[in-house]
Amino acid sequence: MVDSLNKKKLIILIAALICLAATLFTYFNTNYNSTIAVVTSAKQLSATKVKDQYDDADQTIVQQLTLRVLNHSHRNQQYTIKNTYTRSQLLDQGYHQHQRVFVQISKQQIDITTPKRDWVVIAIISVMVMLMIILIGKKPWLVMLSLILNSAIFYLVIRFDIHKNGTNTILIYSIAAIVFASVSFLLYQGLQKKMFAMLVSTIISLLIAFGLSYAIMQLTGEKGITYMAVEYATQNPRSLFLGQTLLGVLGAVMDESTDIVSSLSEIIHHTPTLSRKQLWSSGRAIGQEIMGPLINVLFLIFMADALPMTILYLRNNNSIAYTFEYTLSLGVLQSLISAIGIVITVPVATLSAYYFLLRKRGARK
Amino acid sequence: MSTMLALLLVLFLLMIVVGGRAGVKSYLSIVINFMLVFLVALLISWGANIWLTAACFIPLKLLTIIYLGTHDTKIADHAFLSSFSVTAIIVVIILIFNHFAQAFGIGDQAGEDLIGLSDAPGISFAAIGVVVAIFSTLGAISEAAVAESAGLLELKNSNETISSANFYQSGLNIGEDILGTAVNTILFGFFGSFLALFIWYSRLHYTIPQILNDKLFVQEFVIMIYSIIGVLLVIPLTTLIISRSKMKK
Repeated sequence: MVDSLNKKKLIILIAALICLAATLFTYFNTNYNSTIAVVTSAKQLSATKVKDQYDDADQTIVQQLTLRVLNHSHRNQQYTIKNTYTRSQLLDQGYHQHQRVFVQISKQQIDITTPKRDWVVIAIISVMVMLMIILIGKKPWLVMLSLILNSAIFYLVIRFDIHKNGTNTILIYSIAAIVFASVSFLLYQGLQKKMFAMLVSTIISLLIAFGLSYAIMQLTGEKGITYMAVEYATQNPRSLFLGQTLLGVLGAVMDESTDIVSSLSEIIHHTPTLSRKQLWSSGRAIGQEIMGPLINVLFLIFMADALPMTILYLRNNNSIAYTFEYTLSLGVLQSLISAIGIVITVPVATLSAYYFLLRKRGARK
Repeated sequence: MSTMLALLLVLFLLMIVVGGRAGVKSYLSIVINFMLVFLVALLISWGANIWLTAACFIPLKLLTIIYLGTHDTKIADHAFLSSFSVTAIIVVIILIFNHFAQAFGIGDQAGEDLIGLSDAPGISFAAIGVVVAIFSTLGAISEAAVAESAGLLELKNSNETISSANFYQSGLNIGEDILGTAVNTILFGFFGSFLALFIWYSRLHYTIPQILNDKLFVQEFVIMIYSIIGVLLVIPLTTLIISRSKMKK
């Protein structure tokens, strides 16, 4: 016991050192193709009140920045520039002393392209990893492994999608969903009956949910769907939207299938005389409790994303209906299709548990 | 009939069939949740104080998700207490990291979407970024809190004489299962909203350092990690809250 406690302390210490080193290294790293500079001083020169066409009061701030270049041919040279930004910092931003930034230098002209943010990414990952190791006993490596594996598959899927140049998008993401689900379930559950029940339940639920949603979209002639509002679309926005929705809901359906099937398998294990009807009502009872919160998880992820744009539209005196259509409507549709998937999973997971766990047991007798 | 209305109706019918009265309540929680998000956007666009608006709406949203989504008030009470405390901690983490990330406002990728819109709207987009991050994590935090307290209260009922050390250990065991599945929900939820952006990066041949320093990527990525950290914190905190309330009795 003492040994394992000491071992855990050692692991925490080593992990903390690695995380700290990684964050510091990324912060001070200057080994990039782009030129990096550090802001050695920042002075506010003026702040002027401005009004836009809708009478919103803002301020234009001019600051004088002194930059010292940290790498490449201009290394250690000093530059002084003026940076103009608005107080609301919608598209531009102010800089402060000691901040590291990427710059572009042409002749004597220096321009800031973007602040250096990668070390923040490493820092927040470090915080997450440390919390996982400290708070979670047995599974931290498994959770991290699944995060890394799934991200790697996500990357490959995107490469493949681009390779296919936006054709067969829906087929690609359907297959991707099956691969994602298989890998995650194998990782967390191992090869066992429960795992097949979860996998089958996930695939069938998604199939029914998307079939149903697609039928509804066809029947209503996709009235009121503004595919124009799909952000950053570089290919057919319609299939991109469906692909996004499919991936978005996949995790929630897997989560729910896991919860329902593993709880039912416990019940089946402890109650040898369980009837089909009892199993059905237990599955429904578990499902009822989790479906509401799960739908809200996805809903908030999809909606919060669009909030800055929504506020900007409303601030620019656009009507509520117009704002809704161009900023929020796709998020709502995505949430609705996901919600249908989450609700359908309740009976499907229960049936799947019955088929794989209860009926098979009956056959063995 | 528009597609959205049809989907809303079908969802309502499905939730009644599958969930009965509980289903109606869950449906209501989603509708109210939407109205709250929209109300926040409206209030901020009218110039309401952003911090005050957030402070009012965070508990409101937690109340809607937890009390309308769960049907056992005892589970809901504990879940609310723990998710509220975790949200308070997460807000501090968000304020720190958002400050250093310097990733607020709208990305360069928005380009043509911004035509005709004012670029000096007079509201702090740094503050809005913090509100967006907090809201995104609320769903994941409350879902984990509900799952953890439901599991623990079940354990408490079935085993009255369990010692508090054992109870805490069981709480962590239940929590590990919740963490694994909740991380998947969060991860794929973000893949779903990342997808178009990532295809964009790949098509335009962004290098990895470029992506890691891009405003939009950092914005979305830190929000995803905040949610996971939220779930991580919920597990021990809920266990602590429930085992303390157990002691009192």
